[in-house]
Amino acid sequence: MKTIFLVDDSATILLSIASILTKAGYAVEKAPNAEEALRKFQSGTKVDLLITDLNMPGMNGIELIREVRKLPDYKFMPILFLTTESQQSRKQEAKEAGATGWIVKPATADELLNTIKLVVR
Amino acid sequence: MDELTSVFVQESREQLAEMEEGLLRLEQDPDDRDNLNGIFRAAHTIKGGSGVVECSFIEAFTHDVENLLDSLRNGAIGVTPDLATLLLACCDHMGALLDLLAAGEPAPGAGLQTHGDELTAALKKVLATIASADEVEIVQATGLAEQAPTVEVSGGGVVITDCWHISVRFGPNVLRGGMDPLSFIRFLSSLGEIIGVATVTDAIPPAAEMDPESCYLGFEIQLQTRATKADIERVFDFVRDECDLRILPPHSKLADYLRHIEELPEDSMRLGEILVRCGAVTQAEMDAALNEQIRGTPGEEGAGPPQIGEILVGKEVVYEEVVEAAAVKQAQIKEKKAKEARLVRVQADKLDQLIDLVGELVIAGASANLLALRSKQSDLVEATSVLSRLVEDIRDSALQLRMVQIGETFSRFNRLVRDVSKELGKEIELNISGAETELDKSVVEKIGDPLMHLVRNSLDHGIEPAEVRAAQGKPVCGQVYLNAFHDSGNVVIQVSDDGGGLNRERIKAKAIERGLIQATQTLTDSEIVNLIFEPGFSTVEKVSNLSGRGVGMDVVRRNIEALRGIVEVDSVEGEGTTFTIRLPLTLAIIDGFLVGVGKAAYVIPLDTVVECIEHHDGESGRNILNLRGEVLPFIRLRDAFEVPGEAPPRESIVVVQFGGHRAGIVVDQLMGEFQTVIKPLGVMFRHLRGIGGSTILGSGEVALILDVAALIQSVSHQESNRLIGTGRAQAGTPKSLVSEKD
Amino acid sequence: MSRHQQLALTDDLTIYHALDQKNALLDALAMCDVLELDLARVGEMDTAGLQLLVLLKKEAALAGKEVRFSAHSPAVRSVIELCNMAAEFGDPLLIPAQD
Repeated sequence: MKTIFLVDDSATILLSIASILTKAGYAVEKAPNAEEALRKFQSGTKVDLLITDLNMPGMNGIELIREVRKLPDYKFMPILFLTTESQQSRKQEAKEAGATGWIVKPATADELLNTIKLVVR
Repeated sequence: MDELTSVFVQESREQLAEMEEGLLRLEQDPDDRDNLNGIFRAAHTIKGGSGVVECSFIEAFTHDVENLLDSLRNGAIGVTPDLATLLLACCDHMGALLDLLAAGEPAPGAGLQTHGDELTAALKKVLATIASADEVEIVQATGLAEQAPTVEVSGGGVVITDCWHISVRFGPNVLRGGMDPLSFIRFLSSLGEIIGVATVTDAIPPAAEMDPESCYLGFEIQLQTRATKADIERVFDFVRDECDLRILPPHSKLADYLRHIEELPEDSMRLGEILVRCGAVTQAEMDAALNEQIRGTPGEEGAGPPQIGEILVGKEVVYEEVVEAAAVKQAQIKEKKAKEARLVRVQADKLDQLIDLVGELVIAGASANLLALRSKQSDLVEATSVLSRLVEDIRDSALQLRMVQIGETFSRFNRLVRDVSKELGKEIELNISGAETELDKSVVEKIGDPLMHLVRNSLDHGIEPAEVRAAQGKPVCGQVYLNAFHDSGNVVIQVSDDGGGLNRERIKAKAIERGLIQATQTLTDSEIVNLIFEPGFSTVEKVSNLSGRGVGMDVVRRNIEALRGIVEVDSVEGEGTTFTIRLPLTLAIIDGFLVGVGKAAYVIPLDTVVECIEHHDGESGRNILNLRGEVLPFIRLRDAFEVPGEAPPRESIVVVQFGGHRAGIVVDQLMGEFQTVIKPLGVMFRHLRGIGGSTILGSGEVALILDVAALIQSVSHQESNRLIGTGRAQAGTPKSLVSEKD
Repeated sequence: MSRHQQLALTDDLTIYHALDQKNALLDALAMCDVLELDLARVGEMDTAGLQLLVLLKKEAALAGKEVRFSAHSPAVRSVIELCNMAAEFGDPLLIPAQD
């Protein structure tokens, strides 16, 4: 069973995505902010995919991606970020930081699951 | 019918069988992608072949079936029982059309054509329910809308495949971004079906420069899908900026492929090879084109060697059906690889010839053995002994060739159970086990009919209607079981159900009515139940369409006995019924135990022999022996076959067993084991009870092979009848088998 | 006289091990003429792993040597079949009948 790690400061988003993923058969881990997420990664938890929001108070998503990529265990792990239409400009920045791909909010369950299916090894 | 058509018909019949199987499985598991793909591919193969043999009536009908199956596998429409029924009807119709083609008819007759038109109309009606958004896709798939980037209709335009061609060269940093190109390919295959793929590894540099974390791979992919170009492009969204992606729509012109080749970084010849590998063009076309390219065209100044494009286009080489067939074949290869590598097709009559020859070899070998023994020359005895062993091995191998699994026969019943249960308005499920059990192929062919009667019997009379079952607290869905396994040299086949069982009172009443038994007789439970096998017996109040056509259990039993088998029934009222059929493993060659009575020799099948004991006459005219506490009825062959002469003072009893029953056979001499070929008895003698065939001994004499099953049955009945006193056998005189006729 | 060497891969053929594996495999190839690589214990394989196998075959060909893959694990077999590389690699691929 694959494990997906979700990071978003909105509890609603975390809950709604987590429930879609769990129903689809994935194990889900959550963190409401980037710092907590990074701590989990640094302690070496088993993760097959990271999905993170970009705009978060404190450490933002792009910094999180950069830091995670520095950890040898997660150097090649697929990472998706959540973005809205109006944030297209940050896509490039996120990719340069090491993101694999993105999910445009709001996304249907199908779109979400299809994208995950594409990148999860 | 020419060879091509004959091959097409045979292949198509196999495809239809798989299609039907797949459709039946579809109802149980509507989401099985592999199954959906398989069903589609079967129809696709038939359609492709029909084009090659130019049979338009099959091509036209199959085309619509294929369209519907494509929508099914892509999830545009869902499976419903009605749809499955419609598709099964289409399968049947395609079978009828194949029969027409095989018979050399040019076209379907009026009746068949009307039926076909009705089915086609029904198919189109289902397709029309797909939301209109899909109409755009349909238009694209037929190549009417131009989707490819600036492609002009240049000369020679011959159409190639109906697949999308996806060409991608991944950038070096794709892996560092957390992507794995293999995931892309797997995802693409979920959009449809990848008919062919070629991995391009040319960009991998020599070891010193190769960075293991960089990506150097490219792919040329043939994808069959109803997705749009945008859908396919979307798959590569995340790597678009760092990859070289080209997509050619289905039915692209040859010129497009060739321009594609020219634009790619690798060398043209290499690309030709790659395109062939993924199935976009055939080897023949590439070879022809490359040969010309090497030769070059003389007399052109400054024009350089002609491009592959112009050559192939000039030749107008490609034929759609050939390429399609190649593409479809590639997809099938993966599935059948394991199976095909282990199978060889053999014509049935060649196999029979071989078996006959092996039989003769066995007899000749026995003869040689005998002569060698008489000669008392030890090296000759040794040599013939080695020969015998080899002949035995060949015999065993040859017999193995005739063995086929009963599974195919069993799975034919899936369709029957489905159709009949719908017709009767009952819910019935078929459970099959032991499908890998092997039998001699001639037995398999002949066991189908009796099995059919037994299954229909369960469906019609065994399983109760839903309300009756519910009232009894049984699950509404009735269960019918087909089971097969090997047991001490026999094959056992069981047909059982969890229905109402056999009603003893009704059977007794009917038997009395038909004069089969007296009202005053007391019968054991097993005797009552076995009355159903008596001729002229039927307890069904209504003669239904299915099994009451005057064909009763007696015919079933006769058919099974003709195969040297026996059938028994077991039943618990309210719970269910089980019919158990026992058949010999082979009809051709057996290991036998030779015995003598008077001057005659008889063979007892070795796998029925349990032991041999001495017999001292002195019992009180009863033919029962107490063998270590067990009651053993026996029969004297001398009496049974009315062999002239006196019995010797010391006789032997061969204890045999069959189907859980034992009996003894009293003979004069025991002459040992040997193998023999069964020769069927002439027509005149076929009704002899107790004899299953004849054989020629090494000495040239004829020995009769005993039918142990029949002997045991007659002995058991005799003895139990005697004890009960039904008067069917005369007390004190053993039955003579010779005069009994069936 | 040709030197044969047998080597069994114990780690997954994935990008996480690719650097180490590249060095180990090339070193092994340098020391022999025929290298047989046992892949039975390869649990997972990705693009990077596939590239390494291709590299090995190419390097061997360049040096006039031979590399044979054997005992392909299910993961390895699955990738080779997905990418249609069986013919190119040329090693016999055992296909279990239950596939």
